[in-house]
Amino acid sequence: MIEAIIVFSIFALLLGLVLGFSAKKFKVKGNPLVEQINSILPQTQCGQCTYAGCKPYAEAIAKGEAKINQCPPGGQEGVDALAELLNVDTLPLNEEHGETKPKHVVEIDEELCIGCTLCIQACPVDAILGASKVMTTVIASECTGCDLCIPVCPVDCIYLIDLKPSMDEYVPNMEKVTNV
Amino acid sequence: MSKHDFRGGVLIENPYPLNQLSVVEVPPPKKAIYLLKQREGASAKPKVKVGQKVKVGQVIAVSNNDYCVPMHSSISGVVSAIDDQPIAHSSGLKVPSISIESDGKDDWISLKGCGEEVDKCTPDEIIEKIRNAGIVGMGGAGFPAHVKIKGAQGAKTIIINATECDPATLCDDALMRKYPEEIIKGIEVLMYACQSQKAIIAVEEDKVDAIIKLNQTIKNKNICVEAVPIKYSTGAEKLLIKLLLDKVIPTGSFASSSGVLCQNIATVKAIYDAVVIGKPLVSRIVTVNGSALKNPSNYEVRIGSSFSDIVKKSKPSANPHEIRVGGMMMGVDVPDKNYSICKITSSIIVDEIKIKQKESACIRCSKCNEVCPINLLPQQLFWFCKSDNTKKASSYDLQDCIECGCCSYVCPSHIPLVEYFQYGKALVKKELREQELAAKSRERYEFKEFRLDRIKQERDKMMAEKKAALKAKMAKEKDNKAKIAEALKRVNDKKK
Repeated sequence: MIEAIIVFSIFALLLGLVLGFSAKKFKVKGNPLVEQINSILPQTQCGQCTYAGCKPYAEAIAKGEAKINQCPPGGQEGVDALAELLNVDTLPLNEEHGETKPKHVVEIDEELCIGCTLCIQACPVDAILGASKVMTTVIASECTGCDLCIPVCPVDCIYLIDLKPSMDEYVPNMEKVTNV
Repeated sequence: MSKHDFRGGVLIENPYPLNQLSVVEVPPPKKAIYLLKQREGASAKPKVKVGQKVKVGQVIAVSNNDYCVPMHSSISGVVSAIDDQPIAHSSGLKVPSISIESDGKDDWISLKGCGEEVDKCTPDEIIEKIRNAGIVGMGGAGFPAHVKIKGAQGAKTIIINATECDPATLCDDALMRKYPEEIIKGIEVLMYACQSQKAIIAVEEDKVDAIIKLNQTIKNKNICVEAVPIKYSTGAEKLLIKLLLDKVIPTGSFASSSGVLCQNIATVKAIYDAVVIGKPLVSRIVTVNGSALKNPSNYEVRIGSSFSDIVKKSKPSANPHEIRVGGMMMGVDVPDKNYSICKITSSIIVDEIKIKQKESACIRCSKCNEVCPINLLPQQLFWFCKSDNTKKASSYDLQDCIECGCCSYVCPSHIPLVEYFQYGKALVKKELREQELAAKSRERYEFKEFRLDRIKQERDKMMAEKKAALKAKMAKEKDNKAKIAEALKRVNDKKK
């Protein structure tokens, strides 16, 4: 009887030590759900969801403060993906936050630009290059199409440019195939 | 039956046998359009201006990208336009192009090759010559030849792919009959460039004349001709390697990493021209074939010639036609003949309009599974691609599909399976691209946050330092003032 108690106590102690050690050693930093949500979001960083960027929005969703249908660039597909991840019913995209626009970038008319640098400060991904009172330009390959630079421009010299369809990015239209 | 065989594939007889197999040489066209992007990837940049005079063989477009070869003019004349022109691709898009109007002279640049004694050049020089001649894989994929050869230096075996593969295409057969000596010399050049010991020419067993002609020409005991079954899709690179060498090339890796180089036979002929004569790639053999033609034939045409000019030579019927480019099995349907010959245009098929069979439901007969030469499960892949389930499709090795079209060919329900797989593959690619872009902008966003934070901290630190310095200065001034006051007081006291 006593032997059994001693043996089991030692066992309990050892297991407790292992558990305590691994709880410290393998502790997950931050909320893993935020990362998962953030990886679904399109990373446009446009702020249409009313948060400062995709990560803050992901944090708000994880905390249950924000709804999952506030991201227009992600579209209805994005909302559905979030619903699946969080195991909740999907919602229609909330139109108050804007509509899903086709993929685009912006371009600065270099003739009109006065070099005020306001757009540089507005760009969430540092895709605009320039300095005070000199010509400013957009690095198109880094532009996410968030359009945050457009309202701040005092001379309205930033335009939307639709991305040209390219052979490399072509996705066949299946409706055309199946209706034959 | 040849000694080589593989599982799957289908036996397809050529529905449009040619009356004559000789090659008809087509004189240089009046106008040629050169597409500067003939496959996925970078496009070459024009090196000429509108109005500039050019000679045959002159470089008209170049690129810094190693995967994009230069483009040469195939006629002499004047550059008439630099604009976007349609390409025979399923997207129906336009790509940058250069148009040249002929002066009718066919005036060549002076050609300088290594001559017959190839070993005067080093292998690297030969590869450079191949790149400068603008040679790409002429079987249809258009992969730059020099990249493939560079990756395969030291490869033990070279396989020369002369299996037309596509039942209605006969340009390789015609090439072998017309240029056997050039082909063998080209193989020797290739063997020297790769320092390989052995070359196998794979020819379909029904091309008897071509096999005899090649065998008569071969003097080198390290080159041999192997007859392969006429079953369709033998010509796929990985299948051919499996067939001849019993080597399996794993998914996602190239044949060159297994010590094998596989080159199309037309590419070999182009390599001969480039290295021995110094002639860039300005012409190729195209099969023009189909039910709407009175006189189907093989034509040796200049790159950039228009489809309609060449098709006219085969006397098409007056009815509207269905046009397919690049083979009856793996080709692309195009709406009209307003296209120009690319380096990869192996055949143009002009048919009378057929009534297309309507797609009906899959009956799970599993015929597609039986014919798939790479042992995929087309029936399963079909469901996954149809429902946009890219994850599942990828786990069933969608990426390994060579789009040979055997499954679509045998499907009793007329399901265009390959088109579904092309769609699925494009979807996977799109997802990957979007993920990559999102990862990049996320990184840049996080870096901006970090940068703003760093600037704020730096500013705070600077302000704190300034404040401290100012305080110290004020304290010192106060001290000095006190000292002056003290001294003045002392002086005043003395005066009294």
